[in-house]
Amino acid sequence: MAVSALNTSHEAVAARYQSVDPAYADQRDQRLFGFVLFLISDVVLFSAFIFAYLYLRNSVPNWPPINKDGVQLPRFDVAFAAINSCVLFGSGATMHFAMESWKHLNKAAFNLWMLATIVLGIAFLGGQAYEYHSVQVTWAGSTMGATFFTLTGMHGFHVFIGVIYLIVLYIQANRGVYTGSKYFGLTAGTLYWHFVDVIWVALFYLFYLM
Amino acid sequence: MAQLTAPQQKGLGPGFWPLTIVLTILNAIVSYFIVVLPIDQYLPEAAAPAGDIDALFRFMSVIGNAIFVYVVGYLLYFCWVWRRRASDGPDAIGIQVHDNPTLELWWTIVPSILVIMIAIFSVRIWINLQNSLGDVLTMESIGHQFKYEFRYPRLKQSVYNDMHIPVGTPITLHVTSADVIHSFWVPEVRLKYDMVPGLVQTLRFTPERIGKYRIICTEFCGTNHGNMVANLYIDSQQDFGRWLAAQFKAQGQGSGPLNLNAGQAAAGQQLFGEKCSTCHSVGPFTQKIVGPGLGHLTTDPNYPNLVTGKPVNAENIAWILVNGYQGPDNSQGKNGPSIGVMPNRQANALSNQDIANLTAYLLSLK
Amino acid sequence: MAVAAAHGGAIGHHDHIHPEPEGFVAKYIFSLDAKVIGIQYMIAGLLFFIISGLLAEVVRIQLLTPNGAIVSNDTYNGVYSLHASGMVWMVIIPMMTGGFGNYIMPLMIGARDVAFPWLNLLSFWMFPVAGVILFSSFLIGAPDAGWTEYPPISVQGPPGTTMWCIAIFLIGISSTLTGINFMVTIFKMRAPGMTFTRMPLFVWAQLATAMLNMIATTALAGALLALFLERVFDVPFYDPARGGSPLLWQHMFWFYSHPAVYIMILPAFGIVSEVFPTFARKPIFGYKMIAFSSIAIALLGFMVWAHHMFTSGLAPWLQLPFMILTMVIAVPTGIKIFSWLATLWGGKIEFHPAMLFALGFIVVFTFGGITGIFLSAVPVDLHEHGTYFVVAHIHYVLFGGSIFGAFAGIYYWWPKMTGRMLNRSLGVWHFWLTFISFNVTFLPMHWLGLLGMPRRVAQYRPEFQFWNDVCSIASFVLAASTLILLYNLATSLVRGKRAPANPWNARTLEWTISSPPPYYNFKTIPAVLKNPYNFGEPLPYIGLDPQPDAPDDRPPAAPGSALPAHA
Repeated sequence: MAVSALNTSHEAVAARYQSVDPAYADQRDQRLFGFVLFLISDVVLFSAFIFAYLYLRNSVPNWPPINKDGVQLPRFDVAFAAINSCVLFGSGATMHFAMESWKHLNKAAFNLWMLATIVLGIAFLGGQAYEYHSVQVTWAGSTMGATFFTLTGMHGFHVFIGVIYLIVLYIQANRGVYTGSKYFGLTAGTLYWHFVDVIWVALFYLFYLM
Repeated sequence: MAQLTAPQQKGLGPGFWPLTIVLTILNAIVSYFIVVLPIDQYLPEAAAPAGDIDALFRFMSVIGNAIFVYVVGYLLYFCWVWRRRASDGPDAIGIQVHDNPTLELWWTIVPSILVIMIAIFSVRIWINLQNSLGDVLTMESIGHQFKYEFRYPRLKQSVYNDMHIPVGTPITLHVTSADVIHSFWVPEVRLKYDMVPGLVQTLRFTPERIGKYRIICTEFCGTNHGNMVANLYIDSQQDFGRWLAAQFKAQGQGSGPLNLNAGQAAAGQQLFGEKCSTCHSVGPFTQKIVGPGLGHLTTDPNYPNLVTGKPVNAENIAWILVNGYQGPDNSQGKNGPSIGVMPNRQANALSNQDIANLTAYLLSLK
Repeated sequence: MAVAAAHGGAIGHHDHIHPEPEGFVAKYIFSLDAKVIGIQYMIAGLLFFIISGLLAEVVRIQLLTPNGAIVSNDTYNGVYSLHASGMVWMVIIPMMTGGFGNYIMPLMIGARDVAFPWLNLLSFWMFPVAGVILFSSFLIGAPDAGWTEYPPISVQGPPGTTMWCIAIFLIGISSTLTGINFMVTIFKMRAPGMTFTRMPLFVWAQLATAMLNMIATTALAGALLALFLERVFDVPFYDPARGGSPLLWQHMFWFYSHPAVYIMILPAFGIVSEVFPTFARKPIFGYKMIAFSSIAIALLGFMVWAHHMFTSGLAPWLQLPFMILTMVIAVPTGIKIFSWLATLWGGKIEFHPAMLFALGFIVVFTFGGITGIFLSAVPVDLHEHGTYFVVAHIHYVLFGGSIFGAFAGIYYWWPKMTGRMLNRSLGVWHFWLTFISFNVTFLPMHWLGLLGMPRRVAQYRPEFQFWNDVCSIASFVLAASTLILLYNLATSLVRGKRAPANPWNARTLEWTISSPPPYYNFKTIPAVLKNPYNFGEPLPYIGLDPQPDAPDDRPPAAPGSALPAHA
């Protein structure tokens, strides 16, 4: 094949992928399909709890609800969460750049962007920990707390798993597990990380803006 | 490559049409029995929606039976006619037909039509249920582990285990629960709704047959769910009145004497809207809803008397409110046809003050 | 041939044959082979079937008398709750998807295995663990509020309810992963030339089931997680006193559990669609309609969940669309039944036990489907909900439907899976005893319910005793009839006649390889020219390689005939 391994233009990247053996192409195709189906089922899980939140919110006359002392609970503070959201969305951008770097065979750039993603992900989790500490509702105190902590907790758990996954991918990439044309693990990681971002868009809107 | 030969197709098979006729006749016979089946004898139709619901059940039974008879009939027939014979060799095959678009179209259309028919009938009965009369006697039942509590209007303390209601009086029954989910089911009324804590559901029905029936819990509620039952007594108006009066008495709640001079028309008007307007308009006599219009009681020359045949005055109006009435219509001075059932004061949960107020209001209408 | 050439000689990633696994553990305990996993699912499923069935017999013994006290009421409530939970989640779903699906589906599409064998292994092992957790809940107080566990009572329920949450959550993950695995397998690993309309109908059924498994199960996971959190950490989702709603559970639970009933029945539909053509010696009638109606039923199945909630406290206007949509599902289901009947027409019907159970399925499932239409009409459901009428309906469609279908599948594919034949006359006895005792057990429950017997009761009113006794005694016969099957299975393994590759002269791909198949299934993946139901023509596969270890006990075929002779 006349494609030079050093040629990093888009066309060369595409041509390189085509030349990979058909057995790998099949395997990647199946794994991608399977991973997307897994993400769909995960979306259903979040949707079930989002339904629960909307249902419970609609079944009381006031939201935030009135607690048992007759006091209306306060709304969540948007400012801090907005900043934390930018951190998470930023990590989505850095993940995208990491992926692009890899496709263009720029290992150093990949490492940088990947580390940035991991750091931003951890920062987001830290931000959530601070948010949990400062909100005025408790998990068991009201349906507002119940839905908030459970949904954002599930999301945080997904972010946590994602951070671990990204660290593993980083190590694997640096150990040569992935090549310029065979890097499904990285694709899956990117998809997962974007999924986590999209879920957060929904949760941020539902709890802070709505 | 050689192909195996399939048997020759000889129409739809021996006896197919005779069988179809036999199955159709069988369906007709069974349908007849379904339609005339006296469900009422096995499970009384004790209240208003039961007849409607049984009618829907019969309709669905006729269709369901037809489907089942045809399916099983053809199945058995095909198994017999198209069975493998001992004389068939090991390579014997059936008629290699894959599909028949016309047939498939018909057996999509016909069941769809049946489903539409069932849906239409079901929706009609459902609408009837939504429009059931209620509101004359409004009461509540609360489920507990493992008994039923009943609350009557103005009765301070609840009654347990025995629910009494007067025949002919449309009932609105609100149900809820004090602990876990229960259910309120009277098989003879054919209605049930779950008793859900934090939620109120409403049953509306008109008892039609005097007797003792069962209230059964059908939603698992704990250890003694199977023993959570109560009695429903549909009483005559008089018996209900007596029972309710006895409850009031037992709870030390008498009511003050009846003083027709102390009635307040405004309060009476509000009460009329709450309690009477289900059955009575304030238009002329002929503007009946269930009972006659009461707006021109004192001024209509065509109807000089009350339906009891007595002159229109406070005492006679109050008499009807106290005792109810279900005799002939004597409002035109002669013996008229039966006017239906006007519930008595206990069925309507009217205190003496209520009666005074209503009387004052009715007399104020011109 | 042209088809093979288009793939450049190699069929795909899985065309090469891995070396055979070595050692007992790798071969039989932690095997990656979908066939071994399939058998493991069947064994565990049968074990849980026996346990759940015995629990049902405890129920029937208690209900012999109106004031039964065979066990305490609390224990009784745990008994039927675990009977139902076990049957739904530890028997029918695993056997139909994990059992039959894993073994037969890859063979039918000409694959060597499923798409993700490691995931398959993980899915399987979650299953017996979940089952053990579920049934050991008896030790600390079994969950007592039925398999539906409505709050608030389930929040207050015995400690075993928490174990129930965990067990079902675990089996739910297993199901979801299996659903994903099967979807990828069916979409991506079919043999060359096998378009969707050349796929056997069992595979269509597994596809529709996998879709349901994959999408609906996580909704249940959500409901279970919330119940777990409320029980263990007092987090208010369902508690009305703190703004929660008991109805929320019902929506989340039934959003899964209605598709779950289609998960349980669609594979049975698929089995019947395979058994009928084989034992009538003609194509399945209306292949396309059966295939598409499976997908239609799966999709519609997501839209009808609240028909379980007509009495629960829904806004009245909501009852209407759910009622109508539920009635609509009758149409694709009816189409299937008529298509199966038309498959019988013009056939050469052989009354093998598999065929008998498939025929029995049609009779009993039609009846159960009709009672389902009764329940779908709100005014009638207001009378019938929560009574033994529902219990009757459930068992007609689940036992008469799914279990009869499973029995048909066992008789049909046992020779393929084990290399042994079952005793045919024992099978016929098993069928008739089961069919008759099943109907005597469950038919009276219809009128018991209509006349006033609620469900989930340890005691009942005396006027119901006669029919309860009829049901109970018939159920003892039903239980005994299962022993015939178990005896047949056991003796077949020990001294059953060796099974040829294709004892039924059937047409789908699994019958072109030995019984049991070699671990790699196909030496070379065949190419597929047509759908497999044309009994008058040669097999529609090319590139079939005779397996070197297939016993050639078939009499020589007639000259020019490509068909193996009837065994």
